[in-house]
Amino acid sequence: MSSLKTTLSGYAGYRGREGHYSFLLHRITGLGTALFLTIHIIDTSWVYFAPNAYQFAIDLYRSTLFGIGEIFLVFSVLFHGVNGLRIAFFDLIAPKFWQIKKTRSSTRWTLAVTLVLWIPAAGIMIYNILHHNFGMFGG
Amino acid sequence: MEIKLKVFRYLPNNGNKPHYDTYIMQVNPTDRVLDVLEQVRADSDPSLAYRRSCAHGVCGSDAMRINGRNALACKVLVKDLGTNEITVEPILGLKVLRDLIVDMDPFFEHFKSVMPYFINNEPLPSDGKERLQSPEQRERFDDTTKCILCAACTTSCPSFWANEEYVGPAAIVNAHRFVYDSRDRAAAERLQILNDQMGVWRCRTVFNCTEACPRDIQVTQAIADVKKAINSGKLE
Ligand code: FES
Repeated sequence: MSSLKTTLSGYAGYRGREGHYSFLLHRITGLGTALFLTIHIIDTSWVYFAPNAYQFAIDLYRSTLFGIGEIFLVFSVLFHGVNGLRIAFFDLIAPKFWQIKKTRSSTRWTLAVTLVLWIPAAGIMIYNILHHNFGMFGG
Repeated sequence: MEIKLKVFRYLPNNGNKPHYDTYIMQVNPTDRVLDVLEQVRADSDPSLAYRRSCAHGVCGSDAMRINGRNALACKVLVKDLGTNEITVEPILGLKVLRDLIVDMDPFFEHFKSVMPYFINNEPLPSDGKERLQSPEQRERFDDTTKCILCAACTTSCPSFWANEEYVGPAAIVNAHRFVYDSRDRAAAERLQILNDQMGVWRCRTVFNCTEACPRDIQVTQAIADVKKAINSGKLE
């Protein structure tokens, strides 16, 4: 088996505990954020290099589909950040926290904190989409 | 109870592709997965190949993926799986030689690479006897003395799946055992070996290793200890 195939079958098929899924989510949110940043750097550069294309990009950002994508982007940034802090704290400062019970509960906490931060932000973003794109709430 | 057992089968150079064989069988809930495999060999298919020796969780030969999770077949009871369907596959990331048997050579090469043996060339104490150690000093590395080299940890690690060059959790655990031994004198060399992209820094703290260890070793913690020692230059 090639290592890519092994890796992907392990990612998807291994029945790990919280740590495994938290790692997968960390990867996905990290890749998602990096992809968005790359695109965003390119389209921002168009201000200078291709002003027409820039206007097009901005219109695209205002579309409903992109708006929904941005809601997930915010989740990605928040989860990646909070989980990163958890790992950095355990790994660099307090290795003794790497125990089964603490790891399981801390991954759950990480998700909870992420949701607490994300839900209000998502609410505001959904409101804005409905307001600007669908004329609701007097928009 | 009746179970449906699915076992990964592969016999290289025989034109046959990797596939799964299914057996419907009657077993006791208190049977271990190893007993179930023995029953297959006795009753239906003596060609089924896997490693086992002690059958009591000591030798570390029978690590395999049982319902998607690494474990020793001799330590998992059927009733604890909570299902009648049992899937048994070889551990992941090492080449399958036959059925449930994988090539352990790369695993043992990594083990050897950290010099997993006692090094101290200083003269013996004046009484010519033992190099003494306090109970606290012994306690510091007690956890990592428990490793039986079954490879359940290393082959549960996504970093190892992605790159066979990664030294892997088991080798780091065995390095830890000597790095923190107050009598040993080669800690600096071992830390240097592990201070590498393919050493401790490839650990992504996924924690599958600790969950998989049949000896309950705090594997991720041991790896973090080593990372900290490399970063700070101090053994705490
Ligand atoms: S057969 Fe020895 S550990 Fe399972």
